Amino acid sequence: MVEERSAKRRLTAVPSAAPPDVGDLLGSVARGDEDAFGKLYDLVAPRVFGLVRRVLRDPAQAEEVAQEVLVEVWRMAARFDPARGSASSWILTIAHRRAVDRVRSEQAATSRSIVVGVAAVETPYDAVADEVQGRLERQQVRRCLEDLTELQKQAVTLAYYQGHSYPRVAELLGAPLPTIKTRMRDGLIRLRDCLTTEVTA
Amino acid sequence: MTDIHTLAGAYVLDAVDDIERASFDRHLRECAACRTEVDELQETAARLADATWSVPPPRLRENVLAEVARTRQLPPVAAPPVASPRRRAPRRWLLSAAASVVVAAAAAGTAVYVVQDQRVRDERAIAEAARSSEARVREILAAPDVQVREAAVTGGGRVTVASSRLHDAGVVVMAADSAPGGGQVYQLWTIRAGSDPKSEGALRVGQTATLSVVEGLPGASDVAVTVEPAGGSLQPTTTPVAQVPL
Repeated sequence: MVEERSAKRRLTAVPSAAPPDVGDLLGSVARGDEDAFGKLYDLVAPRVFGLVRRVLRDPAQAEEVAQEVLVEVWRMAARFDPARGSASSWILTIAHRRAVDRVRSEQAATSRSIVVGVAAVETPYDAVADEVQGRLERQQVRRCLEDLTELQKQAVTLAYYQGHSYPRVAELLGAPLPTIKTRMRDGLIRLRDCLTTEVTA
Repeated sequence: MTDIHTLAGAYVLDAVDDIERASFDRHLRECAACRTEVDELQETAARLADATWSVPPPRLRENVLAEVARTRQLPPVAAPPVASPRRRAPRRWLLSAAASVVVAAAAAGTAVYVVQDQRVRDERAIAEAARSSEARVREILAAPDVQVREAAVTGGGRVTVASSRLHDAGVVVMAADSAPGGGQVYQLWTIRAGSDPKSEGALRVGQTATLSVVEGLPGASDVAVTVEPAGGSLQPTTTPVAQVPL
């Protein structure tokens, strides 16, 4: 599949033949279509696995949790409500929550201290990831993160990529709780505005 | 909007504990503006995953597909009565007249609750109102500065007001449990300092629910509802049965 994709790769951001849409596939999956699930897997698994792995920082555990998440997507597909957001967002929300649950229960169990440092773990650049659209999206997110104030960026990324609770983030950053809550919210709002304006650019 | 509203960012980032999550979920069911915001921010947070892309080992695919083959799927959640015929269809492509109410209501959050609680005879009234002003309603509800306030109606029911200074307008949703007796009707008013209450329309005899757009609403101090003779009055003649301070 890697070769197939590379061969078809073009130098345009938008492929001329529209790839299957995550939302459409999820709709078929909701009706019990296992083939559609296979296609959905191929589209979302690298993001699900990447996210879970980033939060857990342990590939073996990440694999286990990613499997739970993807099976959960199959199980819950009929409960997805397109009125509330995109299918990708729904899937990644499930993935993030599972990963955070796991990391928190680990922290509670071993009370080991967590190394601070935003983006300390860089995901290896894989051949399949060398897909024009994916690359553009990653660049866009990184660019938009740079657009935040330092405190906004730290608050958002410590919570999202490392699964810390906001009281823990406040502790790590030495800032008052209300400030951290506010920075998480206004940081996301700024990110939202940056990502939406860039779509048209 | 209450203090809990500031938790929206932490909630979306899964940075809250279980108790906070539960109380925020409860809050979301009642706060239209928060729900819209949370849906949008959830979408934004999910984009952060773009930067983490990592290809899983091939055995994950085999394991997942094998488990899927033996895992039973859950049925859809029982849909609210208004939406049930369209439950499995992609709703956004079926924007019929009735569906536009659902869309407006979904954006409003609280209005979902309101619409579901309506008796059948009021559905048409709400549908008409929503259709005529749907675009404006959406625009107001989507405003970044939208403020949502509510008050109970004496005798049961509630009035919900969503107002935006940016658009200099508001959406008023009223849903009473029962209509006034004796041929009387509900009438909506806006109250402004230094002038007489302004009528924002009277409901029909027997009508208990309405959804209307009020231009210039942020200039008013209150939205009130009184019981008046059929056809409405020029000025309120009774004590309000509901009053929403803005």
